[in-house]
Amino acid sequence: MTGKERIKRYARELLNMSLDDGRVDPERVEAVLATLEKAPPRNYLSILRAYAKRVARELARGQAVIEYAGGLEDSAAEALAASFSRHYGRAITPIKRPNPDLIAGLRIRVDCDVYEHAVASRLHSLARDVA
Amino acid sequence: MSSVIEQIEQRISQLETRSVKKNTGNVLAVADGVARVDGLSDVMYNEMVEFPGNVTGIALNLEEDEVGCVILGDAGHIKEGDEVSTTGRLLSIPVGKQLLGRVVDAIGGPVDGKGPIEAKEHFPIEKIAPGIIARKSVDQPLHTGIMAVDAMIPIGRGQRELIIGDRGTGKTTIAIDTIINQARINKQGAESGDPDFRPVYSIYVAVGQKNSNIARTIDVLEETGALEYTVVVTAPAADNAANQYLAPYAGAAIGEWFMQNGMDALIVYDDLSKHAAAYRQISLVLKRPSGREAYPGDVFYLHSRLLERSARVDEANGGGSLTGLPIIETQAGDVSAYIPTNVISITDGQIYLETDLFNQGIRPAISVGLSVSRVGSAAQVKATKQVAGKIKLQLAQYRELAAFAQFGSDLDAKTKAQLDRGARVVEIFKQRLYNPIPMEQQVATLWGIENGYYDSIDSKKIVQAAVNFREHITARKTALLERILKEGAISDEIAKELKAAYEEWKPSFDAS
Repeated sequence: MTGKERIKRYARELLNMSLDDGRVDPERVEAVLATLEKAPPRNYLSILRAYAKRVARELARGQAVIEYAGGLEDSAAEALAASFSRHYGRAITPIKRPNPDLIAGLRIRVDCDVYEHAVASRLHSLARDVA
Repeated sequence: MSSVIEQIEQRISQLETRSVKKNTGNVLAVADGVARVDGLSDVMYNEMVEFPGNVTGIALNLEEDEVGCVILGDAGHIKEGDEVSTTGRLLSIPVGKQLLGRVVDAIGGPVDGKGPIEAKEHFPIEKIAPGIIARKSVDQPLHTGIMAVDAMIPIGRGQRELIIGDRGTGKTTIAIDTIINQARINKQGAESGDPDFRPVYSIYVAVGQKNSNIARTIDVLEETGALEYTVVVTAPAADNAANQYLAPYAGAAIGEWFMQNGMDALIVYDDLSKHAAAYRQISLVLKRPSGREAYPGDVFYLHSRLLERSARVDEANGGGSLTGLPIIETQAGDVSAYIPTNVISITDGQIYLETDLFNQGIRPAISVGLSVSRVGSAAQVKATKQVAGKIKLQLAQYRELAAFAQFGSDLDAKTKAQLDRGARVVEIFKQRLYNPIPMEQQVATLWGIENGYYDSIDSKKIVQAAVNFREHITARKTALLERILKEGAISDEIAKELKAAYEEWKPSFDAS
């Protein structure tokens, strides 16, 4: 096993230790970090970076980042998140982000999936088709 | 009724406002035309992905944390953090007769300035080759118009025949001659109005060649009227490695369309040595483990899956064929190198071209001893078999004797006669480039040499004599040539007519 693979495996194990009921638990993350600090492993920095990346990815899996232009009621955001929770079969919390570049509509990101429902993306695809 | 229309319009409006779902990732790094992308959790192997600026890539390495994508366009403006999205489509290219006469790049885009290609169908670039059940044995000839090939190393429709040799030995010329001959036969067939005539369409795939060479080849095809039956797929040396890697598969997809639609096609891969080098480059940049000569472990599969797509299929699968003529360039005549041995083992035979023969003026410089066609003889026309059956053996014996005779001056009459005949056979197979000879003329010429009509002619004048004789029978014995073509065998009557033709021609040639 190469050094990079070892780091990846270590980070994956640390992430597994940080999960509680399939979700990242801040207390567990804290405990993992404290343990690592006490006895830093070889390639400590690289492991921490890989661990941070994995935690961020895991957190993104549980978030629906809703970019919007114009207004968006909190209740609507909650409803969207509930709908995504049902769709993906895991708890998803909404994060609202205003984005005037969208002109109008929404752009929702859940992990790697992006749902485009904005005027800007329509215009973009129209321009591409015409070209 | 209006409520029905309202319902439909409501459904349309629902669809129009439906959000678009994309699976995305972000560029981690870009180097040497390859991007490492984080995300793209739903991407498929070989799926087209979209980079900013309408640049397309293909997902080639699916790893636990990231995806390795080769970029097919200009990677200059792609930077770290850029969003990449999946398209849900495997790499596919336009196919069909609309491509005939056109020059396209590795993804089917026109590069000849003749406007867009109005293709109705698209085929995926990568496809599983026809299986055992779908295949039919090779039993129809594919005439190259090169006398040495058609007589001694015959090629059948659906066969894979490798053209191998050092640089500058005439590999491309053999392939181009074959394409030109198909165009000539196609025109002849169209004029004859024969409903059973099956034209052969050609695909020429230029991989890693200089643009000037490709332009010259296209000019030759155009001048000889072959371009209208040919599709040229180009991935020149200046193109990125990904395009060079994809071009042969794109050509195979174009050829498969003809095959699956009951037509016959010929595909030339010029050349697979450069294709392997392009794949090696991609694999090294993708950090795949390298093996012998730094090629990746699946370099055999790279060519086997490509060449297996050349086949003759049964009627249930379209009844067409795709004949493959891959070209391999050797270094200093070394056929035992990695890529040449791989392709030799995949193909159904090889035409080996020798530098020494080329330099001696024997062109095409085909080494009879090392060239072989494993399945083509089943497809050879009976007339050719009748006149050329013994020629390969005669030539092989001549080469041995000629080597032996160098050490001694006293030779018995039989040996001398064998040497004389051999020298004439070598001469008669000399042929100008881009000048394919029709099958019936080949038969008539070879019948003459077998029956000793060239024995009294000075060996230096054999080529001239053969050309002269062919001109003679083309002008005066059209009916005889048509009969040979139609009957496909030399009957006693045809033999008599050939004898008469030679006896009529010989004195006039001797006098000249």
